[in-house]
Amino acid sequence: MARANRAFAVLLALAFASSAILLALLLTLVPRVEQLLTQGAADTTDLVAALILVLAICGISLGLAALFRQLLATAVLIRSLVARKVSVPSAVLSAAVGLDLDGRIDVVADDRPFSFCYWFVRPRVCLSTALVSRLDHDELRAVLLHERYHLRHRDPLRLVVARYFAAGLYVVPVVDELLGFYMLQKEIAADEEAVRVDGVASLASALYKLLPDADDVSLGLLVPVSSLSVTEARIDRLVAGRQIGLALSPVSVALSGGALLGAAVLIAIQGGASVAFEALPRLYAVPGLLLGPASLLFAAAIDGGLHQLRPLSQRLLARP
Amino acid sequence: MRRPDLRRLRRPERAEEKFLGPLEAEVMDRLWKRRSATVRDIVDDLARSRELAYTTVMTIMVRLHEKELLERTREGKTYLYRPALTRQELRERLSRDLARGLVADFGDAALAAFTAELGTVDASHRAALRRVAQKDNRGPR
Repeated sequence: MARANRAFAVLLALAFASSAILLALLLTLVPRVEQLLTQGAADTTDLVAALILVLAICGISLGLAALFRQLLATAVLIRSLVARKVSVPSAVLSAAVGLDLDGRIDVVADDRPFSFCYWFVRPRVCLSTALVSRLDHDELRAVLLHERYHLRHRDPLRLVVARYFAAGLYVVPVVDELLGFYMLQKEIAADEEAVRVDGVASLASALYKLLPDADDVSLGLLVPVSSLSVTEARIDRLVAGRQIGLALSPVSVALSGGALLGAAVLIAIQGGASVAFEALPRLYAVPGLLLGPASLLFAAAIDGGLHQLRPLSQRLLARP
Repeated sequence: MRRPDLRRLRRPERAEEKFLGPLEAEVMDRLWKRRSATVRDIVDDLARSRELAYTTVMTIMVRLHEKELLERTREGKTYLYRPALTRQELRERLSRDLARGLVADFGDAALAAFTAELGTVDASHRAALRRVAQKDNRGPR
């Protein structure tokens, strides 16, 4: 299985497993919270239950917000592009011969060179007139092959799903890291598809022609400073065959593992299903047993919450 | 430099307005027509259509100078300004910036792009890509 597919599969598996654990925890807590609402807080357990419920509501809202934002941004983008749709130029038609993309290519009038694959069930490829005029037949074909990979794998749909989980499962930060890895791997896999069919030079040449000029970099735009950019990683792969491995940050792994472990312990003691816990004294007598796992969950939640806020604050700061 | 916003992106006909404020665009417009001018010249020029304080126009022109869109030389007590780029050059530069901004602007949109994040490529990667891109290497392998 290609690395991009594997990355997506791992992401989904982890997301489903985490969701199942967190949902189970939520269900065991609901009766407690009902009690809390009607009778007020009786002990620490009730307060912890209420806090966890708040975290869960945050997670669900973040996931839904991510979903809504993506659908809205996609709709806005498509609407703005459809208004500028032109008939597909013959250069594109001839580059697309034999690629099985009939009727699924849109060309829009725009002075920025871009191409992408969009829409969910039956994805389409969109190219701008600036891109078409800048590239020759072989380069256009390489771009179309690249986009065909995204189209065949329904990458826009996968992206929506992956981003939904990454936002909603903020207490499991590994999901967010897997999203970043998947996003890089899908571009590399799409490049590889183009290289496999038509060789490396056409794709490299297309990529080179579309790079903004180096002198632009000093314009004071926000440029990520750490590590390789997606394009640099793609170039490494094209030029030297260098593959980027999945490197999860130990903090994320620890927080994610802690949160899931904490949730699992809480389910066990709250549900009272485990024989091991029956012998223990009543919960409020051993708050450590409850607060330990709960604090693992809260630590992950705080880290995840800050992480979610970062892009938002950056966006606000970047505004004039 | 200002980030382009969605509403502006829908009007592709005047690329320079995406990055320049309306008054900045107007001043650039006059300077492209006159080739060089002092602040006073522009104030007088603009006075035909609208009333603007000298200091307002001066602020705009200093800002354009700081953005490296205007060059200036001292002429006695005052500065003579010239456009640093032609209209076409500015448009090309802006469209490159916008191509980079596209992904940032529509970052939330669900799309998989060949042109994702094309902004940040260092010189060594650029050179390596160029070597691989040589046309005589073309062909299936």
